[in-house]
Amino acid sequence: MAWYDEDSWATAAFAPKGSTIAVTFLLVVLLPILLHQFLYRKTTPTTLPSFLLIGPSGAGKTAFLTLTERKAVAQTHTSTAPLAVEVLLPEGHTPQSSHYRSPGDPAYERSRRFQLHDTPGHGKLRHFATTQLANPTSVRGIIFVVDAASVAEEAGLNETAEYLHDVLLALQKRYTGATSSKGPKEIPVLVAANKMDLFTALPPHLVAQQLEKAISEVRKSRAKGLKDSGPALGGEDDSLDEEREWLGEGGEGSFEFAQMEEVGTTVTVQGGNVIGGDGVDVTSWYEWIAAQL
Amino acid sequence: MLDTFEILTTSGVVLWSRRYSPVGPHIINSLIRDVFIEERVQLHQDDAGSKPTYRREGYTLKWTTAKDLGLIFVAVYQSLVHMTWIDKLLENIRALFVGLYGEQLKSKPSSVVNCAKFAPYFERQIQDLEQLTPPSTTILTPPSTTDNESADESVPAITLQKLQKPLYDTSADSTPVPTPDTSRPSTPAQSHLLAGKAGPGGKLSRRNKKKFAASTSAPVSSGDEASVKLKGKGSAKKNRVWGDFGAEEEDPSVVLDYSQSDLRDEASEGEALAEINPESWGSRTGKGQFVLKDLDMEMDQIIAEQNAKKEAPASALSGGGLVGSSLGAIGGLFRNVVGGKTLTEEDLAKPLKGMEDHLLKKNVAREAAVRLCDSVKRDLVGLKTSSFTTVEATIRTSMEKALAKILTPTSSLDLLREIQTVNAAGRPYVLSIVGVNGVGKSTNLSKIAFFLLQNHHRVLIAAADTFRSGAVEQLRVHVRNLQELSKREGGQVDLFEKGYGKDAANIAADAVAHAAKTDFNVVLIDTAGRRHNDQRLMSSLEKFGKLAKPDKILMVGEALVGSDSVAQARNFNQSFGPGRGLDGFVISKCDTVGDMVGTLVSMVHATGIPVVFLGVGQHYADLRGLNVGSVCRLLMS
Repeated sequence: MAWYDEDSWATAAFAPKGSTIAVTFLLVVLLPILLHQFLYRKTTPTTLPSFLLIGPSGAGKTAFLTLTERKAVAQTHTSTAPLAVEVLLPEGHTPQSSHYRSPGDPAYERSRRFQLHDTPGHGKLRHFATTQLANPTSVRGIIFVVDAASVAEEAGLNETAEYLHDVLLALQKRYTGATSSKGPKEIPVLVAANKMDLFTALPPHLVAQQLEKAISEVRKSRAKGLKDSGPALGGEDDSLDEEREWLGEGGEGSFEFAQMEEVGTTVTVQGGNVIGGDGVDVTSWYEWIAAQL
Repeated sequence: MLDTFEILTTSGVVLWSRRYSPVGPHIINSLIRDVFIEERVQLHQDDAGSKPTYRREGYTLKWTTAKDLGLIFVAVYQSLVHMTWIDKLLENIRALFVGLYGEQLKSKPSSVVNCAKFAPYFERQIQDLEQLTPPSTTILTPPSTTDNESADESVPAITLQKLQKPLYDTSADSTPVPTPDTSRPSTPAQSHLLAGKAGPGGKLSRRNKKKFAASTSAPVSSGDEASVKLKGKGSAKKNRVWGDFGAEEEDPSVVLDYSQSDLRDEASEGEALAEINPESWGSRTGKGQFVLKDLDMEMDQIIAEQNAKKEAPASALSGGGLVGSSLGAIGGLFRNVVGGKTLTEEDLAKPLKGMEDHLLKKNVAREAAVRLCDSVKRDLVGLKTSSFTTVEATIRTSMEKALAKILTPTSSLDLLREIQTVNAAGRPYVLSIVGVNGVGKSTNLSKIAFFLLQNHHRVLIAAADTFRSGAVEQLRVHVRNLQELSKREGGQVDLFEKGYGKDAANIAADAVAHAAKTDFNVVLIDTAGRRHNDQRLMSSLEKFGKLAKPDKILMVGEALVGSDSVAQARNFNQSFGPGRGLDGFVISKCDTVGDMVGTLVSMVHATGIPVVFLGVGQHYADLRGLNVGSVCRLLMS
């Protein structure tokens, strides 16, 4: 039986037969479905508004995340991997967008939902946070957790200020580098001064002051610092001064958080404590989150 | 005794913990920091079987991980106590926890895992393992070698027997049967269990006992204490089951049943009963000691399942047959293109070898390349490749990540701020430079001086190279040039020299004192070049470090050097005595190697100390900070 015979498979495949039509129809219907299932098995689209938890190691990011998720603080250690969880805004806080909705409304319940992204704060693992910052599609706000007690000391203050400087600079670059005339969506920053229960903790307004001062210092020394090795190693001529960007008003004078509003970033400093003998006090942070939702 | 046992996720949340005595959280934090993040501690693995250990503040930490679920299991105990069963405990607890809660962990990202019921499992494991080890191994003195050996032998031996348990069913009733109660050592920890057993066990009639013995006879013949205990409990439960159903009337039939228990079929049937009944019955009772007995079986089952899962891939490979293997190969190829392939060590072996060769070509020392590949392997085994990525691409991204991680400094390297801080304390900032001969110590020193002069610092350069002829003159020329330049830029620079032949450490100390007096705020100390494996020359560095008390010691290494860089970095790092090491590297001559910048990685790998500066040319201004991203790109290109 050759392929051109009347009852060969090749003829059958093109013949107007019922079975051929059925097979073709099944193939047409099933193939895209299977392909879709195969490719999109894992990735469920998440359009939930999300908040990034950033800050130096040991500030209390993971503790805040567990507090929000399970209403009680779990014991935590240094994180080595990021974690994203879906959480509900606690009772007693109304999301800004559903201020006039009644509590029974399903839309109200939906608007209370958001995602918290915890990032490791260790110096070697900050790339998790920076990659998130580079492309903040659904990020509504950034919660920069600060250990208010360690900010009172020089070393802790410097580390925190440097990290905050980098975060704010990334946000500013995102704003100034935007191509559309409208500018990208605003991303507010909450500097959450944690560990207010400790005796050595600075009050929030002092935390803000110290950080502003330290960020000015960071900016100053960055301006004086050496150039990057990038272009020189790449074999390019780096004698041309590439345009470097400075945080806040061209890097002149002393830095204030208010300068960030120009580039679509409002910085708020609020105190609180995730763990504490006299109970937990993070209502001001939740209020801030509610205001962004 | 065990102090703390914790199960935590890589994202830092403690899922379950059991503490016997308070251990500060900083102990485990430092384990995570030093071992998992900075990989600074060279893990001394004595033999392949034992888990790595980490010591801190009198505690010994042992850990194991479940990579795919992102779990870390840590056991903390006092270093004085020698505990041989920790490895086994970690292994078993991991199998148990993964078996019980693996699904829950996989299902959705959350920090919450409902594992409140894990405690009894853990307690049972501890008790089992404590019994297995001879009591002499848990004394507070360092144990003798014989103790060690016997303990090590006993653990694998018993596990082996446990695995072979079904085999013994065939050689059932030959040996005399000790009752479970006598075979179990009566440790205090066991007391509540004994109390629990007294209920059914005490009321056993003689016939029941006989039946009891018959049903347990199968495993007992092995002479295995652990399995005796297990089976004993199983049958004890069975007795109760019969009692619950009103066993008094049925007693004769029961006896009849078990009079024939010599037959293997009957015995196995009894075992089947024992397997089915405890579950239904256990749930009816719901709580108390009897649940613990169910746990034993369940635990063994879970552990066996997990072990079987581990062994499954190996057996599947060997027994796949021709058709199976070729289909698997085609599927593997397809998956390799489309993604979604679960990576095994075999998949990774070849591309990783290629990656290693690639790194070696980039002048990375073999030791560092092997370590990087290992870390990539550890990172990837058991993971699934994402859609439309090949294994090679996955390895590439993982390697880039590993390189970035190794090169990224832990803390900030802002020299200017450090100078500011030290000067605020009212003393000059002292920076000294060490290195092998001819790597460019003086050149890089003058480059740093130029950089500081640009920032209007007053710099004193101390010529502590009193050995090589022309060293002082070379510095004098540099200082003269810098003085000319600093007229334009601002700042002030001078040379401190005492000629040749004097003791370098004393000159350095004098220079610091002189600088403090004459209002210089930075002292740069040049030292003589020395071969890193010459003990005589290296030993003088310790004295130098003690007298000059540098705030920062930078080592200059040239980018041209090959695999020797590891030894150089290590020896210099150790030469300053305990408690003092290098603070950073200056990698010179980077402009001469093109993209073969592997020396950076080798040196950082050897010591965990960051690269601070790169020398990229012949001019004073050719000093650069490290850009991790660009170096990674060069290495991967």
